[in-house]
Amino acid sequence: MKLRSVAIPFGIALLFAGLRIPEGKAQEAPHLAKQIQAVHLIGLQGVKDNAKGKLSVEDGKLHFVYGKASSDISINSIQDVVAGADSKKAVGKTVGTVSMAAPYGGGRFLSLFRKKIDTLTIQYRETGGTLHGVIFTMQSGTADDLKKDLVAQGAHSVLTEGQKEETKNAAPNNKASEDQKQ
Amino acid sequence: MKFILSRTILYSLSALFLTTSCLFAQNNPPSKIKASSIQVEMIQSGEIELPAEFKIALYENLLRQLDKQKGSLQIYREGDPNAAAAADLVILHTTVRKFKAGSERTRQVTTFAGATSITVHCSFTGQDGNLLLERDVNGKVRFFGGNLRATHDFAKKAAQMVRENLSAPANGQ
Repeated sequence: MKLRSVAIPFGIALLFAGLRIPEGKAQEAPHLAKQIQAVHLIGLQGVKDNAKGKLSVEDGKLHFVYGKASSDISINSIQDVVAGADSKKAVGKTVGTVSMAAPYGGGRFLSLFRKKIDTLTIQYRETGGTLHGVIFTMQSGTADDLKKDLVAQGAHSVLTEGQKEETKNAAPNNKASEDQKQ
Repeated sequence: MKFILSRTILYSLSALFLTTSCLFAQNNPPSKIKASSIQVEMIQSGEIELPAEFKIALYENLLRQLDKQKGSLQIYREGDPNAAAAADLVILHTTVRKFKAGSERTRQVTTFAGATSITVHCSFTGQDGNLLLERDVNGKVRFFGGNLRATHDFAKKAAQMVRENLSAPANGQ
């Protein structure tokens, strides 16, 4: 009887605790940094070219986690960050290479199919002033968000000539539309 | 008849001798620049509109290739504070002169069009700023690989140029 009187409140407490744990996790979820699948092309010290990993922006650093290791870049040290667009073969690697030997231009036909990708190019200086550059590729439409996150946390971004012209062209249009409104 | 034949052989031999001696004279390597360290400055695109990824890939690939075949040459990046104290430092400045983006798809479909090419003007100066050597080096990708592979080709050629024209002073002096 005594055992039952102890067990029932304990069971109820456990049940509530069980219900509270996912709630707690749900509350933590928005604080987790957004992770983006990326491929490191070149530049990070000690990281192999074409290493696949996850990029995230948190605690004033750009983290690249690949396998069991990770590499960081301090966001304050970033001098320029540029998001660009590119494309790569939809059928690549070994299959793509082997397909080049396919008869009747089968391999060339496969080369027509390409996948859009984004590139993220970062230029940064170490604390001593040494200049480095890093290039990542990622799924199309993700580099701009990552760039915005980096700029929001203090990374510098220099406008390219093309972007300068775009803003120049956009400015008179805006003025014209304002004039029309008036 | 014998006279003509002997004269012909004589003239031929003398012509051959002259040609080979001229060729050997041309092949005499010019004196190399004495340098025990090299600092690579960031690639300048000048008036050419060069995508940021090409600029970084040129810089990083160049450093990597120099590091691969450095021999006794110490390699420094731009802004490296240790470079200031380096002896016999040569600074490599690079400016893009020509750039054709090309297309990997066109290359692989047609096999003759769509090549990516880049021409970079490389100039070597001493710490005091005097010009030691300047050359144009180009990088191309004609068939296999993405457009950025042109930067790898450039880096290999530039590193070879460094190896051919720079040498460490004897006894580390």
